Amino acid sequence: MTGAINGHLRQITRRTALGALGAGIIGASVASWPRLTGTDIPGRGDNSLSIAILGTAADAAARQRAIDAFSRIHPEIKVKVQAIQAVDWKDFFTKILTMVAAGTPPDVVYVATEGAQLFAEKLAHPLDDYIRRDAADMADFFSDVHPSLVEAFMYKGSLYQLPMDWNAANMYYNTAAFAEAGLDRPADDWTHLDFRSNLAAMKKARPSDFTPYYWTNRLFGGVVPWLYANDTSFLKETRSTGGDWLWDGFYANDPSRSLRSGGYQWLEPNATDGRVFESFDYLRGLVKDGLGVRPEEGGGNSLVGLFASNRIGTTPAGGYWVQGLHEAGMGENGFDVQFFPRWKTQRHQFGTAGYAMMKTAKDKDAAWEWIKFSSSREAMELIFPNPATTPARRSMVNADLYAGKGPAHWKVFYDTLDRFPTTGPIPAPPQQAAVETALMKNVSLAVSGDEQQLKQALASMQRDLEIALRRQP
Amino acid sequence: MSTTVPPREKTRQAARAGKAAPARTVRRGTSRHSQRWLAWAFLAPTILGMGLFTLIPIVASVVLAFFRWDIISAPTFVGLDNFAEVAQDPTVRVSFLNTIVFVVVAVALQLGLALALAIMVQEKLPAWLRVFFRSAFFFPLILSAASVSIFMRYLFNEQFGVVNWLLSLVGIPAVPWLTTPGGSAAVVILVYVWQNFGFSFLLFIGGLASIPVETYEAASIDGATGWRKHVHVTLPLLSPTTLVASVMAIISALQVFDQPYVLTRGGPGDSTRTAVMVIFESAFQRLEFGQASAIGVLLTLIIMGITAVQFRLSKRFVFYQ
Repeated sequence: MTGAINGHLRQITRRTALGALGAGIIGASVASWPRLTGTDIPGRGDNSLSIAILGTAADAAARQRAIDAFSRIHPEIKVKVQAIQAVDWKDFFTKILTMVAAGTPPDVVYVATEGAQLFAEKLAHPLDDYIRRDAADMADFFSDVHPSLVEAFMYKGSLYQLPMDWNAANMYYNTAAFAEAGLDRPADDWTHLDFRSNLAAMKKARPSDFTPYYWTNRLFGGVVPWLYANDTSFLKETRSTGGDWLWDGFYANDPSRSLRSGGYQWLEPNATDGRVFESFDYLRGLVKDGLGVRPEEGGGNSLVGLFASNRIGTTPAGGYWVQGLHEAGMGENGFDVQFFPRWKTQRHQFGTAGYAMMKTAKDKDAAWEWIKFSSSREAMELIFPNPATTPARRSMVNADLYAGKGPAHWKVFYDTLDRFPTTGPIPAPPQQAAVETALMKNVSLAVSGDEQQLKQALASMQRDLEIALRRQP
Repeated sequence: MSTTVPPREKTRQAARAGKAAPARTVRRGTSRHSQRWLAWAFLAPTILGMGLFTLIPIVASVVLAFFRWDIISAPTFVGLDNFAEVAQDPTVRVSFLNTIVFVVVAVALQLGLALALAIMVQEKLPAWLRVFFRSAFFFPLILSAASVSIFMRYLFNEQFGVVNWLLSLVGIPAVPWLTTPGGSAAVVILVYVWQNFGFSFLLFIGGLASIPVETYEAASIDGATGWRKHVHVTLPLLSPTTLVASVMAIISALQVFDQPYVLTRGGPGDSTRTAVMVIFESAFQRLEFGQASAIGVLLTLIIMGITAVQFRLSKRFVFYQ
């Protein structure tokens, strides 16, 4: 026995010993290294309220002041904010769904219009009972928020989210380019024909390295604002019944009360509608005459930089652009904003966002307290300290928010809702991802070729939309 | 517990270990046993990894192809419905057709370019420059395809891109690279080939280095010069390398995703939509995981079929020295 032990001992060479020592050091380092555990996943391992937002860790940190203020009021509710990086809202929703599939869904999710009906249909819990219960507290919020924004989160008569911020597709323009072309600020009711003549004037004044109209191929700010202005859309828009409990309770005296419903519905495609053709044909004309770009799919990342460097005359965007242009070095008088041009109507397109309470939320009362707190003026001032978006509360869209950053006519942002109360949300049924793909993939072809190609592209869009809407969300 | 050691092995051990040889011979049985365990221990992480991250997902994917599942609700068995829907979906058909066209053009360009450059670098350049070009041509492969594609998107922008600016210097009007079917397909292929040819290039460099110089000398004595040497000596002797390079290039090209997704999102229309893009859109945008799996299964079968045909044909066209 001893001999055997000695035999094995003889095999432990200096190299083996050093190797074992090295492995031991590495093992000890790895074991002692701070690493992720189950409790690092928000909501797992403790009873904290987990909140998912689209953004970076910096965005999550920016919410900290709001969390601190919430904790002072509700010390019993522990909050964890998880920022999820994503290319766009579609990508963000996909990541939330994978969290759901993994069994670690957040309790509250910040959801934009693009996903509002998907969440309402599948994942979110209606807020109706909480709003009724806390009607006295909520009166201040609803009195300060335009009903169009609230209606965007109505689904089949129930309210699933409270709008926190929003943006309409207004028209930004470069003031220097306008002046160079001898153009004054457009009138509030300028038409699509006025717009075209302005583009032609800018093109004449700056024939190279300049695009009079830059637009992107997206659900927001792409072709849809033109469709809305022409009193149509690529999907047939109808409304659900219901929701009177909210409208009568909080908006009984609002001048647009009669317009309100139980929520938008997009059940059928409408790409072969004559006005859709007319709108696309107008854009095709802009592209053909070099007045507007042929939009790339998913483009827009470089737009702020290009606009700030005075290479773009006009582009559709919302209040969220102000901070970006300011950070890109554009002076407050270098740009301005006007309503989207009028066609048959001057209906605008907007997108909004707010917190949705998940059906799976562990403590729904706590989730509601967070949602309610976030809708307060105090919280919204902490969450939206600068014009990186337009706050849903009218009272916060004031001169202070835009001081030193522009635009001169910042009132256009909220006036869009007041002046044009039929202004509607991004058309986003529960099958939004498939619908967006069906729209985007046909837009470039529709505006790039001859009339025959346009007709083919719209027929293809109609077919793709039929398939998309047939699918279960 | 005695073991029989072949005499030749004994001699080798003795030569290696000198006086210690007899002692090792005694422990051989234990050593072989422990070596087997050691072999399994070394293989275990790979087997575990392959099982967890390759085998189980493949099996799960095949099973999922027969279910309807949207992540949120419980999966429901639908038999062959997913395959029937896939067969009727015009977008899926177009995407597979696009993928085949992409594979033919991109792989031909990739292999042709890699071979031409490998011959040039190996034959025409001094040793120090060879090292530089080997690294330079391989470098794009280590970059993230998404980052490269974002960068290329700026370069090929119709209004503000550097490529059109350069073309304008010689009087060529702006080309709508990313907004026309032809232009976007060309850019996707170009970016893909630029990023991937470095791997084939390195394979060809290795293959060229393994061709004996004497073979070329013999060909020269027989009167072969320039191109004829390459046609009659280089290409036949490089055929095993070409087989490996083409199999890998085709499998990789059949799975192309990053470049068309970032550059064009599959558009305009469906002009640059590929099979893997449709899998991604079905699964992660439309939440049709069953249908996505069905498309994945079809793509896997196509890849396996093409690879089998390649190896079958290799018996005729590949020459082993």
